[in-house]
Amino acid sequence: MKTSILGTAIRLLVPVFQLFSLYILFRGHNHPGGGFIGGLIGSIGYIFYAMVYGPKEVVHLFFNFSLYVEDRADHRSRTQAYLQTLKNNTWQRKQTKLPKEARKAREYRLEPMHLIATGLLLAVSSGVLGMLFSGGPYMSALWADFYLPILGKPGTPILFDLGVYLLVMGVVLKITFIMSED
Amino acid sequence: MNKLLLILPLLLPLYGAILCLFFWFRPRAQKIVSLLAQLGLVSASLYLLLHVNSAGIIKTQIGSWPAPFGITLVADLFSCLMVLSSSIIGLALIVYSLQGLDGARQRFGYYPLVLLLQLGIGGACLTGDLFNLFVWFELLLICCFVLISLGGTKAQLEGAIKYVTINIIASSILLMGIGVVYGTLGSLNMAELASLVRMPETDTSLVSMAGMFFLLAFGIKSAVFPLFFWLPASYHTPPIAISAFIGGLITKVGVYALVRTFTLIFAINLELSLPLIMLIAGFTMVIGVLGAAAQKDFRKILSFHIVSQIGYMVMGLAIYTPLALAGSIFFIIHNILVKTNLFLISGVVAQRHGSFGLKKLGGVYLLQPVLALLFVLSAFSLAGIPPFSGFWGKFMLAKAGFDAQDYTIVATSLAVSLFTIFSMTKIWNEVFWKKKPAEAGVENTTHEMEPESAAARTTRRLMYVPVIFLTLLILYIGLYAEQLISLSGRAAEQLLNHELYIHVVLSK
Repeated sequence: MKTSILGTAIRLLVPVFQLFSLYILFRGHNHPGGGFIGGLIGSIGYIFYAMVYGPKEVVHLFFNFSLYVEDRADHRSRTQAYLQTLKNNTWQRKQTKLPKEARKAREYRLEPMHLIATGLLLAVSSGVLGMLFSGGPYMSALWADFYLPILGKPGTPILFDLGVYLLVMGVVLKITFIMSED
Repeated sequence: MNKLLLILPLLLPLYGAILCLFFWFRPRAQKIVSLLAQLGLVSASLYLLLHVNSAGIIKTQIGSWPAPFGITLVADLFSCLMVLSSSIIGLALIVYSLQGLDGARQRFGYYPLVLLLQLGIGGACLTGDLFNLFVWFELLLICCFVLISLGGTKAQLEGAIKYVTINIIASSILLMGIGVVYGTLGSLNMAELASLVRMPETDTSLVSMAGMFFLLAFGIKSAVFPLFFWLPASYHTPPIAISAFIGGLITKVGVYALVRTFTLIFAINLELSLPLIMLIAGFTMVIGVLGAAAQKDFRKILSFHIVSQIGYMVMGLAIYTPLALAGSIFFIIHNILVKTNLFLISGVVAQRHGSFGLKKLGGVYLLQPVLALLFVLSAFSLAGIPPFSGFWGKFMLAKAGFDAQDYTIVATSLAVSLFTIFSMTKIWNEVFWKKKPAEAGVENTTHEMEPESAAARTTRRLMYVPVIFLTLLILYIGLYAEQLISLSGRAAEQLLNHELYIHVVLSK
């Protein structure tokens, strides 16, 4: 389905979908919304992108991360090397100090399965956190006593919702990728 | 303390499954994770059993919502025994599948699925909420569906479709029953339902009707007559590590739910439902054992025997005295261990000889005398020859039947035992005793068997480990039956003493 209108529009729409899904996720505590619907909305953008450009392109563009690593020079300690790697990949990422050949890009890929597992881990652990630190039974809510500017009062239920968000997104993406590969 | 004890049997397999998802496509790491999780699960459920044994029924309110509104987890002796025996079986099966399952299935999520299945069994046994029970059963259904169809051979898909169709129907019937209960009584908490049902102003006619929905739904799930036909059609299709797990455990969870609901909630108008359950129990035993007598495949015989043994468990519920329920509980625990062990033995035989057909097998006694011994112990136990575990279960059930003067069902159960011995003798004769049949083209098959590489020998030895472990457990239950008999006696007393359960759950 390669129409140029959809193809151009979807490039702009992916971040919009993503932001809107986060908005839905965070308003879900007291209003309609929450992790499940947020995850679904968040994955819409990627589904459309996969429909236009194919799933490989989606994976390449959104789920591949390249880390720039240098060979460790002899006089440097391991910590220094890690710090250098961190620097290369964060604030110095745009500046090309080194010639292309010296910088090795190592590709990392975020699989939907990892999203699913992280989501489950967050959701389950939010209950454990509540149990361990509030003294109540499993899944007791634990709230901080300060407010964050936009998000509101942080607590363990938002961790649970975040877990559901990631889980739903991972499942939908996995299904989409498998179905569109056939 | 209670909150941690009750949640650990659910959290450990869940965390294990999550870690396995992180190690997707890395079966070696998954093996280690699932073994550790399973070991933790066994010790957690053992500790839970010991605690409940000394401290009585315990509960925890998830999310600190008080009892009739939130979801309660309750552990009494019966549920603890179920959780413990299922975790032991899970451990044995994971050890078995380290060697006894092909690599492709291991890579495509066998271990997380088994752990999730453990989670479902633990949840179904520990929950104190009807709708939550339904959700756990759905989890079991989905995991079983994927496990049966994992690998995607034609026979497996056929079995999986039969399995899932009939079980979805059962689930929707269960949901209807839950709807009727909620509509008439306005609660889903089992303890509150139990106290509501026993109030004189409650209209009990609709509750009895809902009870029939539950009987039908759990009847399908535990494969009683006349709803058992899906079981022999689907249980023999997947590889042995999977069918042993499903065949040994899942139907018993159905029986557990049946016993739980019919002692707690639908324990009114029993003069209507008990004769029906009695009839079901008798027919289940007879049809199952006759079906087994007609089969010529190791695994199919065992599958039909599952049906027949379910009859004994339901028989205890139908007689409805403390001794009968104790017999039922004893029989469930014994049967979980023995049935899984027999499935595993058939797997070891098939791994060496490449077949489950009785016609093709033979001479195992000469090649693997130890295995033959292990089989005989388990088979005697299943048939109920005196010092072994099956005898005690059947003895308790028969004694309870005589006390309650239900002579027909006792006579049926004893006759069925004879047929069970007949089936076991048939397997013994065909698989272990008779000479290996010479196949066309190969003049001497035993000759071909002789060379066995060192790797294959280690594989075979590792596969023996869970079988020997389970056989020792069966022997322990049989020879030191006193402990388990007294445990199941007290579990049955707790089941019949509904006021205790209600008090524990609804108190602050």
